[in-house]
Amino acid sequence: MDDIVRNDTKPAAGTGQSLVLTPLQDLGGFLFHHLGRLLLFLITCSSVLLVLLIFFFVIREAIPFLTKFSLTEFLTTKSWYPEAATPKFGALSLIVGSLYVTIAALVFAVPTGILAAIFLSDIVLLKIRDFIKPVIEILAAIPSVAYGFFAVLVLAPWMQNKWGFTTGTNALNASIILSIMALPTIISVAEDSISAVGRELREASYGLGATRFETIFKVIIPAAHSGIIAAIVLGMMRAIGETMVVWMASGNANQIPSPWWDLSQSVRTMTATIAGDMGETPKDSPHYWSLFAIGVVLLVMTFLLNIISEYFLASAKRKTGKS
Amino acid sequence: MRHIIRRITDKAFTILTGTSVVLLTFVLLIVLGPMVWRGAKAVLFKDTVEFRKMQLDLYNRGNPESLKIETAESESFRKTVYEIVDDFKHGIDTEELIDRTKQIYRQLGKELRYKKITDKEYQRIRLLARDLRDRLQAAFESNDEKIIKENIDYVLQYRLDENLADTAAVEFFTLAEDFLKAAENIDLNKRQQYAGSLQQVEELINRLLGPKPSDAVPALTMDRYGATRWDLAQKLLDQLLWSEQWIKQETGQPLVKIRVSRAEEFAGTKLEPLFGYVENNLNKMLKPEFTVYWQYFIDDSTAGHYFGGVGPEILGTLLLTLLAMLFVFPLGVISAAYLVECASDNIAIRIIRMCINTLAGVPSIVFGLFGLAFFVLFFIPLFGGPSEPCILAASLTLAVLTLPVMIRASEEAIRSVPQAYKEASLGLGASRFRTFVKVTFPVALPGILTGVILSLSRVAGETAPILFTGAIALGPVPKSLFDPTRTLSYGSYDIAVGDRLAMMVPHNQYGMVVTLVLVILCLNAIAIILRARVFRKLRGH
Amino acid sequence: MQKEKDNMPTSALGKKANIDQIKSVVSLGDKASPAIKDTNLDCKCAVIKSENFSFYYGLKVGVKNITMEIYPCSVTAIIGPSGCGKSTFLRSINRINDLIPHTRVEGNLLVNGHNVYDKNTNLVNLRQQVGMVFQKPNPFPKSIFENAAYGPRLQGVKNRSQLQQVVENSLKAAALWDEVKDDLKKSALALSGGQQQRLCIARALATRPNIILMDEPCSALDPIATGKIEDLIDKLQNDYTIVIVTHNMQQAARVSARTAFFCLGELIEYDSTAKIFRNPGKKQTEDYVTGRFG
Repeated sequence: MDDIVRNDTKPAAGTGQSLVLTPLQDLGGFLFHHLGRLLLFLITCSSVLLVLLIFFFVIREAIPFLTKFSLTEFLTTKSWYPEAATPKFGALSLIVGSLYVTIAALVFAVPTGILAAIFLSDIVLLKIRDFIKPVIEILAAIPSVAYGFFAVLVLAPWMQNKWGFTTGTNALNASIILSIMALPTIISVAEDSISAVGRELREASYGLGATRFETIFKVIIPAAHSGIIAAIVLGMMRAIGETMVVWMASGNANQIPSPWWDLSQSVRTMTATIAGDMGETPKDSPHYWSLFAIGVVLLVMTFLLNIISEYFLASAKRKTGKS
Repeated sequence: MRHIIRRITDKAFTILTGTSVVLLTFVLLIVLGPMVWRGAKAVLFKDTVEFRKMQLDLYNRGNPESLKIETAESESFRKTVYEIVDDFKHGIDTEELIDRTKQIYRQLGKELRYKKITDKEYQRIRLLARDLRDRLQAAFESNDEKIIKENIDYVLQYRLDENLADTAAVEFFTLAEDFLKAAENIDLNKRQQYAGSLQQVEELINRLLGPKPSDAVPALTMDRYGATRWDLAQKLLDQLLWSEQWIKQETGQPLVKIRVSRAEEFAGTKLEPLFGYVENNLNKMLKPEFTVYWQYFIDDSTAGHYFGGVGPEILGTLLLTLLAMLFVFPLGVISAAYLVECASDNIAIRIIRMCINTLAGVPSIVFGLFGLAFFVLFFIPLFGGPSEPCILAASLTLAVLTLPVMIRASEEAIRSVPQAYKEASLGLGASRFRTFVKVTFPVALPGILTGVILSLSRVAGETAPILFTGAIALGPVPKSLFDPTRTLSYGSYDIAVGDRLAMMVPHNQYGMVVTLVLVILCLNAIAIILRARVFRKLRGH
Repeated sequence: MQKEKDNMPTSALGKKANIDQIKSVVSLGDKASPAIKDTNLDCKCAVIKSENFSFYYGLKVGVKNITMEIYPCSVTAIIGPSGCGKSTFLRSINRINDLIPHTRVEGNLLVNGHNVYDKNTNLVNLRQQVGMVFQKPNPFPKSIFENAAYGPRLQGVKNRSQLQQVVENSLKAAALWDEVKDDLKKSALALSGGQQQRLCIARALATRPNIILMDEPCSALDPIATGKIEDLIDKLQNDYTIVIVTHNMQQAARVSARTAFFCLGELIEYDSTAKIFRNPGKKQTEDYVTGRFG
């Protein structure tokens, strides 16, 4: 046994090799290592490149519009008649339309989402949780065009026939569907941050004799508030950026609802305008450029929302990191 | 007291949160339920002999021999229907009758030239014929029984005229007789109404049974066949048996829609038995059979998706998604590998991460704009391609869209590989590259694949990015990467908001969107199963 | 020898050492494990030489001013309380500490004549000459064969029969061959903890190192498996330089020729095992070895 050990496992060729090799001596390894890292780094920078390209190209196509037409008129007036003899590009009702359906969607989605997140993190048993999580994942997986389909062919006739609306495609329809779409995002992010608060705070509160409701409302939610705000902002991002559902379900009427709370009126969003108009617009016409200008507005809005959500998420991480 | 309030609020709160989750489940069922149910009918339904005819003609599917037998059988029952209708029409369709008289008159004129008669006789007969024709027309057009009887009797008195025998004029008299008989049976005032209703009935029969065997083949494919589905046939049958009419109520009240039995409407006329006959014998006329039309997923569709399936759409979706994954997989995995293995926490890495997050937040329609401005109008033409929407541009756009998802999933997968394996490998003298390739990557692969599948499912459902970059609603199956294509996602949109034609085939509408949803849900299910296996594997060791 | 081993309490004895029992082992003389004999102490060719070596995790001190020489073909144990830098020092020898960010090094650490912290050090070659066995067995999620063949493959052995020979030799050297020879394709993760650790040792041996570093190799194993590994160390020590970090003082006493005592990042005493346990020079050493502090 010892012989075998001795003869076949004696220090090998590897030992003969020098442990210290200058780059010149090990040129292959040196180049491979450093060039390889450089190549990987460049490939990873593709995401930076893509972001820059996106901003560059979208803005580039919008610039001809912004130089020829007034930006203030674009952002503050309501008359959107791009194909008229003297075209007017007032995108205010479009911008308001987007915000309108988004905020209405959040009004439905935020309370439901946060309550559901609380339910999942604090109230329900693990087994039931495993049933509910797939429900949320399926809701998140359904594509937007399927939701839009539902909105147009099921919800709209229902609204018109059973509820007596003048038209089934209106702000309410779009908001309901948008809230369903934003819910999974809100629930998962909120649930993550509520769970991340940790046992200690909960134990402390229960130990002092608080009920579950009081613990959640007075201790957990305030502790997780950054994450919850981030969840709401992310849900808002989802809703503002959504195209197919609003295109199919909002009615595409270029107006701001006249009693502001009347959701039964049709509105038009920025995303639907781009999607709807682009097919019929000749390239390199003012209308074409104006659609890109709307795209820039969208890009800026979602970029800002992204930064805000990142801030709150980082803030949440800091707090739970400490505790 | 305070205690009780606290406990009640606690319980109420629990119930409230539970309600929100129940609401979610409820919403899911409401959204998916009807759609899946209706969509399933595109594949699982009762078809009719018309369907089989269509399948044989358009797709060369089915047994011609047995179909011939079936068709012959059904026609023997259909004959009755046509007979009843024709019979009734004789009394009603005044236009046709008038046309007929004109034809007879012309025919008579031709025949008279070859008849051996004197000129005087020739003139007399011609004037007589014209008179008969006019009288008949007057009778046909009039609603007054007296006038009709008067004219018809006038016409019939010339029946025995020897010179009119053996000529086309004989038909004048049969028409007159028939008409008299028919006129006795119908309420002449209602003739207009009958005409309108009859037209509806004829149209419905056309749609139920297809064009009459004796008629010319219609130009549009959709008109060439009767009801191809039994549920459609039932709907048409219902429209046949019941007509909808608007009834005036008291002043100030809106009109009310009521259903009136057509059999009652045509009570006492020759058409009345039609309705009972059709109702009782429709299954013999159409021969319904339950079928599984799985070729729905392969077949192309006719104009407006009236017949056929979603084969090209599925192909288009597959092409776009697989191509997009081909582009994004190496980029995503390599970026993730770099971020996990090589990156230190410096400013460059933080910028990269910020950009990945930005990419994740860009709205899908803006990706569409980018795809149009960059890939379609700049990038592809740069390499000599056409500056038109095409599969290549659309899949590149989708690849950019899904890059952040891929990077995040890959990063998570690579990070979750236990450090122990890495230490073991490095400790044995493997370089970091080899360690990654031989140890880390294989262990991370299931997690990465989960990310791939989730990306696939997301990309398959995206519509906005491909609107301007490569998707079309109608068009041929693409032959190269530089052609645009139909897809399930865009097709679902188009068929949902499309024209009335689409509304006539709800099963095709729902079929397309349900196909899309099912594909995506299947992909998600596979990803979930994979993830559970990965979880168990890593946890267990 | 076997009987003595069974009598010795092994668990948690790092803290509550029965000094008499240790002394009894150390004084067994001929009957004791040959490892305890002071073999090669006179050999001046130090294989690992540390000269004022310090290692910092950021601002925290890992080890400070370690100066010692580890002699070839023997077993050197490093003992000390938790957090005293034993593992830090050990892991510096093959620079596996590089995986931790924000670290800093001072002084020299020479292995086989070269300073391993030289900026031109070829880590691949270094780690093929210095093998390591970790605290928790970490075989790859591959077959037994693939695990053992991993090292030789790195070194360029491609021939199937050559690989098989090397694998067989390594597994025999690690006293695992008889237990697994029937099914080398079985997943390594299906083996017991002790078998996995022996597989890790075989894997390390397959690269034919001349130094083997062991970072508390038995702490995750049951006593029987521990015994087998200690037997193995016995057999290997004639051909390899083994440095073993251990919490278990009896183990140190059983297997090593020389022992170093670390405390709070510093080398307190380094001498033959017999001396450390029987007659420690420093009071701190004596306190630790007699269990006055843990």
